[in-house]
Amino acid sequence: MLALLIVIAVLGLYMAWNIGANDVANSMACAVGSKSMSVKWALITAGFCEFAGSVLVGSHVTDTIRKGIVSPDAVAAAPGVAPADAAVLMILGMSAALLASALWLNFATWMGMPVSTTHSIVGAVAGFGVTVAGWGAVNWWKLVQIVASWFISPVIGGILGFCFFMAISRLILGRVRPCRDAVKYAPYTVVFVVFVVALSIVYKGLVHISAKLSWLTGGNAFILAGALAVGAGVLSRILIGRTLRGREDLPLPQQLQLVERIFIPVVVFCSCTVAFSHGANDVANAIGPLAAVVDIARTGAVKMDVAVPLWVLILGGFGIVLGLATYGYRVIDTVGTKITMLTPSRAVAAGIATTTTVLGCTKLGLPVSTTHTLVGAVLGIGLARGMGAVNREVTKSIFSSWLITVPAAAILCVLLFLLSRIFLFDLIRQALP
Amino acid sequence: MSFIGDLFGKSPFGPLVEHTKKVHECVEMIRPLAEALVKEDYEEIHRLQDSVCKVEYQADQIKHEIRELLPRRYFMPVASSVLEDFLHYQDKIADSVQDFAVILLIRQTKLHPALREEYFGFVDQILKVSRMLLSGAEELQELAETSFGGAEATSVLERIRGVGEEEWKADRLQRVLSKKIYSLEKEIDPVTIMFYDKMLRTLSSVANEAENTAELLRRMILHS
Repeated sequence: MLALLIVIAVLGLYMAWNIGANDVANSMACAVGSKSMSVKWALITAGFCEFAGSVLVGSHVTDTIRKGIVSPDAVAAAPGVAPADAAVLMILGMSAALLASALWLNFATWMGMPVSTTHSIVGAVAGFGVTVAGWGAVNWWKLVQIVASWFISPVIGGILGFCFFMAISRLILGRVRPCRDAVKYAPYTVVFVVFVVALSIVYKGLVHISAKLSWLTGGNAFILAGALAVGAGVLSRILIGRTLRGREDLPLPQQLQLVERIFIPVVVFCSCTVAFSHGANDVANAIGPLAAVVDIARTGAVKMDVAVPLWVLILGGFGIVLGLATYGYRVIDTVGTKITMLTPSRAVAAGIATTTTVLGCTKLGLPVSTTHTLVGAVLGIGLARGMGAVNREVTKSIFSSWLITVPAAAILCVLLFLLSRIFLFDLIRQALP
Repeated sequence: MSFIGDLFGKSPFGPLVEHTKKVHECVEMIRPLAEALVKEDYEEIHRLQDSVCKVEYQADQIKHEIRELLPRRYFMPVASSVLEDFLHYQDKIADSVQDFAVILLIRQTKLHPALREEYFGFVDQILKVSRMLLSGAEELQELAETSFGGAEATSVLERIRGVGEEEWKADRLQRVLSKKIYSLEKEIDPVTIMFYDKMLRTLSSVANEAENTAELLRRMILHS
């Protein structure tokens, strides 16, 4: 039994490692690309923020992957499956899904294809569901919602990116005295980001961290998030004011440079929140299947409602940080040297748009791609005439990659599942209590 | 994989400003050339013509670099055709300066003393046109920074209007100078008059191309 848990935990860790190695660099792209942060610091803060995001908010999407796409009940009720066998099939299937998507990610990375961990795991889990219990086992309505969110999240990211950048452009950069208007309006970006992040952490409660925090939901959450946001806004206003006071009469180009400089700390903060929301949404790709298996392996029965154990969330966060530390740093390095024309004001707009969209989807339990949302935001800023040059080809290949990823991960998962059913079924059955 | 890194191309606006500065470095050599003509220092003219050539060549290098940055697969805040045209006209400014230097070089001509005042008035007006254009075009990067809008765009548009006005004044000064030349036609031999005419034409084309360049800058701002 313990051996089984360890094997599955290792699979989850492998998947989390993949996420850390591939995706985290994209969430820090704004900070490193606009040279607001050195690679070393980006690495350290990304690690913290990803970990915090996965542990604090990661459980929502985890439930979707665990039981939202393929319902354990449907597997148990499928014709030709004895109730005792259902547990074994779930374990095999979820493990196959983990291994399949991790292998596919490894392969795609090696081929240089821009694939998303989210798309792989959703494809893999759906593939397993169809194989084990027919087309009826998959919750198609949920799957439609998920796939729709893959179209909608970049669009929303784009619209928000366009709006946030327009606001920064109209209210600050386009003014006669940008230094004066930056003191007036730039703190609002801080207020907004802090509010969104704080609300995402506390809105549905932190009960899984400590039962004592159960008062922290609903209206109280709004008040707390609002208070934090206003506090951060006042603090940032004081700091920005101190830097820019008396600079209102400099020539316009110099003022613009100064204003860009005050956006640097805001970019660092926004990128941290992107890493945070990435951890919150994407940790589920690794630990959703793991969470499904852990309970079954312990009790031997398939149940619908199990809380995601805290240690599973921590394991996922740890895996992401591990991937970042062992491989992801190289990716961040390339990102930093390649993006040269992302000024801090653009990076702020892209960061806020991405964080808001991804955290919103996370709260709805929708697994979305942080990378796609970020690309959407960048294109939105481009439409507002804010980007120097955006490569159309790369955009196309990023958005089309999931069309291959979903079936590829699904087929790979089906193969692994069928093989394991032949060779490992009896072994696991004996191991269960 | 860092496909996010591949998403961003190099912005053309930084190199465009470099090109602008090189071209106007050429234009600034018009005044020393004119002075050398008056002093009849033909060695100095030779030396200056060499440096105009050198700077014009450097500007060409930058032009080719920018052309490589402008393939259609990039999505930019300004249509790449407008950027191409801007580059084209700005390049012609440098070409005209080079033509001027060559004209002075190929024939050891003397400037009639009575023309001196009007001549320098005209030359300085050409420089004014060019400096006005430079003051707008060298802020292309700031324009991109403010997404071609707001106060920055307004102030550049102001200077673009200024280019038009200064060019109009240059045209007038050219007419005055021409009249003066033909009023002295009894004293000056016909070949020299031909030479003066050629010189005036290349100088006025510097101002004309500067106005064309300014017009394209305006189209960048008022959405191409």
